[in-house]
Order: sequence, then C-alpha cells, then structure tokens
Amino acid sequence: MNRIVIVCVEDEAEVREAVVRDLAPFKPLFRIEAAEDVEDALAVLREVAVDEEPVGLVLCDHLLPGKRGVDFLIDLQNNPAYQTTRKVLITGQAGLDDTVRAVNQARLNHYIAKPWQPADLQAVVRKELTDYVLATQDSLIPYIAILDGPRLLDAIAQRG
Amino acid sequence: MKPSITSGLGPTKTIGLVLAIFAFFVPFFITFENLSEPGHRVLGIFMMAVVLWITEAIPLHATASLIIFLCILLVSDKAMLPLPEGYKAPTYSSFFYSLANPVLMLFLGGFFLADGAAKYKLDKNLAKTLLKPFGQKPANIMLGLMLIVAVFSMFMSNTATTAAFMAVVLPVIARLPAGDRGRIALALCIPIAANVGGMGTPVGTPPNAIALGALNKAGIQISFIEWMVMIVPFMLIVLVVAWQLLVRLLPTKAETYTVEIDATYDRSPQAWIFYVTAAVTILLWFTEPLHGIQSAIVGFLPVVVMLATKLISDKEFHSMQWSVLWLVAGGIALGDGVGKTGLDTWMIGLIDWQDMAPGMIAGALCLVALLFSTIISNSATANLLVPIGISLATSPEIAISPVASAIFIAIGSSLAMALPISTPPNAIAYSTGQVQTKQMALVGGIIGVVGLLIFVFIAPVAWNMLGLLAD
Repeated sequence: MNRIVIVCVEDEAEVREAVVRDLAPFKPLFRIEAAEDVEDALAVLREVAVDEEPVGLVLCDHLLPGKRGVDFLIDLQNNPAYQTTRKVLITGQAGLDDTVRAVNQARLNHYIAKPWQPADLQAVVRKELTDYVLATQDSLIPYIAILDGPRLLDAIAQRG
Repeated sequence: MKPSITSGLGPTKTIGLVLAIFAFFVPFFITFENLSEPGHRVLGIFMMAVVLWITEAIPLHATASLIIFLCILLVSDKAMLPLPEGYKAPTYSSFFYSLANPVLMLFLGGFFLADGAAKYKLDKNLAKTLLKPFGQKPANIMLGLMLIVAVFSMFMSNTATTAAFMAVVLPVIARLPAGDRGRIALALCIPIAANVGGMGTPVGTPPNAIALGALNKAGIQISFIEWMVMIVPFMLIVLVVAWQLLVRLLPTKAETYTVEIDATYDRSPQAWIFYVTAAVTILLWFTEPLHGIQSAIVGFLPVVVMLATKLISDKEFHSMQWSVLWLVAGGIALGDGVGKTGLDTWMIGLIDWQDMAPGMIAGALCLVALLFSTIISNSATANLLVPIGISLATSPEIAISPVASAIFIAIGSSLAMALPISTPPNAIAYSTGQVQTKQMALVGGIIGVVGLLIFVFIAPVAWNMLGLLAD
C-alpha cells in the first residue's frame, strides 16, 4: 500500500514543528512532509510523485516568502493530479480577498485560524483525510482506527 | 503522477508474477506420465492460478478472467494450439458460460437483497428489534449480537455485516474502561459471528457458491433449504461454542451493556417494495421442495424487481461487487478445465488413497481449506480445492460423497479466522485497534479447530441419518 502524503507548508520553523507534532496521531499510516516555502513544497511534490505516493492533504500557510500560499493552492487545484487533494489554509493573515480567492479558485476545504488547538487541527485533518480516503481508496479497512471510524464502517457496509 | 502498471507492486508481487509465468510453462516442457496433452496445459493454468491467488500479484478476479481466457485458448474447441486426436474439447462458450452460471445468478440475488437491506437500514432496524429480548447482561447481549450478525451474514456479505455491526459495538467498547477484556470480546464477536454465519446459506459467502457450482456441474442439485438444513444446526453449535469461549476467556467487569442503535423503520413506498420483495424471495428459497422453483431462478426475482422499480439506481448497479462473481466464475471454469481434460484423475492418482479412511480424507480436505484460507482469500481457496475435492469424491475407489467433500471445503474456508489477514471481517476488527493478533489467533484458532471437528466428525453422522448424502 502506498502511503498517502500530508504536506505542510509553513515558513516559521517553530510553527512548522508544531504542526508536524500535532499531526503525530496520523503518522502510523500517513507520510508527513514539511516544506518551508512554495518552492520547497514543489520539490516535495516531485519527490512524492517519483515514489508514486498520492498527496491527500496540503496544510498551507498564506504569508510565505516568495509565492503566497493561496496562489500555491490555486495552482494545485488547476493541476489534474491534485484535484482530489484536500486543501486547508492555516493562517492568521489572509485577508478577505485572498480567502475568497482560495475558496472560489482553489476549492479550499477548510480554513484554520492561527493560533489553533491541537485537538481542533486533528479533527479537521481527520475529517479531510476521511473524505479523501472515501473518494479515492478501494480499501478503507486500514484507516478505521486513525480516521473517522464510524463513517468508514458505514461506507464499507454500503459498498458490500 | 500517473499510476503505472508496476505501481504498488512490492517484491512479493513481482516474485509472484515471475513465479506464475514460470509455473504456467513448466508442464509445456516437462511431460508427466499418464497425463494427456490438454491435461498438461490445464496443469499449467492451475499452477499459475495457485501462485497468483496466493501472492495476489494481480487482483483475484483478474486471475479468474485469465483462467477463462487461457482455458479457451488452450483446451477448448477453438484452441490456438493443436489438440490430440480423440480428445473431446469442451466448447469455448462453455468456459464463457461460467460467468453466467446459475449459482452466480443466485449470488447476484443475494447482492441485491443485501444492498437493499443496507440502503433501507433494514439490518440496523431488525437488529434493534431483535436485540431487545436479550436484556442488558453483557454475556446475553453478546449472544444476541452474535446470533443477529450470523443471521444477517447468511444473506449479506460477511464484510458488510461486520462493518455495520462493528459501528454498533464501537460505542459500547468506548464506554468500557481501558484494559477491560470485554472490549476485546466485543470487537471479536462480530467478525466471528459474520464468518460463521456466512456458512449458513448458499448465498452467505462465495466459497458456498463455488461448492454448489461445482456440484451442479457434477449433476448434483442442492436446494437452498437443503443446504441450510445441513449446515445451520452445526453453524449454531459453533456459534455457541465461540460465544462461550469469548465470555470465559475474555470476561468483562461491567455489569451491563447498553447497545444504542439509532434507526427507525423506513416506511416509504420504496422501502415497502423492498421488504415485500425480500420476504417473498426468502420465503421462496425456503420452500423450494414445495414449489420446485430453483433457488437461482428465485434469486433473479429481486434483481428484476429492484432494477425495474429503480430501488437500485444505475450508479448502485455499477458499483456492485462484480469482482466477487468473476472470482467465483474463474473457479468454476478452472474446475471445468480440470475435469474435462482428465487432470483430476491424474492428480488423484498421485496419492494412494486406498489406505485412508473416508473420514480422514474428509478431515484432510477441511483442514487444508482451513490452513489455506487462513493465509489467502476464502474464495481463492475454494476455487483451488473444490475441483480436486469433487473429483476425489467421484472417483470409484474413494468412499466419500461429493456433497460432503465440496461442503467441507467451503466450511473449512469459512472457519479460517485466526489472523487479521484471514478474512476482511477480521481485518476490520483488527484495524479498530481493539484486538491484538495473538488474541485473535487464540480465539480464532480454537474456533477453527472445534468447528472442523464438529463438521467432520459429527455432522456427517446426522446427515446420513437424515439421508441427506444419498447420492
């Protein structure tokens, strides 16, 4: 089974570490990659593509050096390879315009305002990854314990 | 990020693929005594199937389609290679027919009923009603759950039943303190009951269909109700043994369990159409001796009704488990190839059976099925073993009934539940994180062995007394 990848893009080292730390519950089944800016994130995506591992979720800050987070998410949405990827913005500084663009053009799935509570972040990630797995995976069984178990069981029962 | 053919092809699968190709070609270069030329070719197909079904180098149903294709190309009347004089080649269409074998139509009927039950939440509603008399005592609740799961699993897939009822017990598990062994018992009782319940009817689980399909080919018809009469009493014994095992081995400290099932009966016209269709279908299945309409024909009733009334939408129709039907069809085609080319008599001739008691042979079949399907898919196990079992039983020097032989293999496959990989229901229980492999191995292993003993040594006595093994 190819592991599904979670990519976090955040320029501040401390914040990046905090995100990765909060994602620990997902580590047994998912590959977690951190990037410090969009360029770095693109390098990560190339590497992941070589390993043929699908990107399930991108957690992205908006105010990054170089290209902005929202523009990165829009680029992803316009790339057929990443249309099913769930896209989440974690930011304190995206203005209304940027946020609206993210919703309309990047099909943003969730907006997390900084600062966040670990439990809230985990709940959002759990929901988004469950949506991703339901939409893309043939075998749901491995994800029951870590993602939304009742929803997955329901889907398995429906699939027969 | 384009998926390539090799994507996700781990080392086991690569080795499996190479080994399968090798296994396929061996009989083309080595000549075995007393085996016909077409027999050699089917031996190649058979050995390839063994490797592919064990390693799952390609999907199980892909192997099935390959078997059908190769049988047509190599041993049918349209074979691409010359066939020897005097060999009565089966028609190519007979291999294609395996995809529409009446047993598959029966199974398809089962799919429709199961889909309807899930769609209209009939499973959860009935469970809610049926669970009430079992009160609140943990042991009683568990017995109730296991009986209900087993009954549903007789008609729905073991996997779907487990998923539906695991969702029911997870909240109960969550309310128990960490370390309470009742948690493990609850998480295990659902897949065990689903695995055991699958034995109960011809549509309960694919190995049953494979056994019935092979028996049909051998000219032996077993009705829906005959199957149930033979299996259900012993299935219930196994279930009660499993229940006692769980209660004693993994006792809970809790005084009561509260199972909350959030469901209300759907009273829409569509739901009513489904309830009536399901009731009529099952009633007709149970009363075949009275009206003589074969179960496969009855099984097509819900298919027609539910498609015509759009209870099953186009989308739902497309997303049915067709791969299961193809897998069973592959087994039927393989059995056909093995039988028609004389490969069966040759394989059986390899062992001197005369020294063995019939009971020993029956036990061995069941045990081999149990061991195989602990590791590989239950259906693949049945696909590989049933043709051998049937031809063993039809050869004159061996005193074992074909019916018992096919049934033992089907039952052996269903009794395999010692590991998370043994069956999808076990995988579900394991992946909830409530059960460890060693606990599953202990409980599942004991149930497998006890079940085998019950079926091999006690069931045939009863079947003989009732005259069920007349042929």
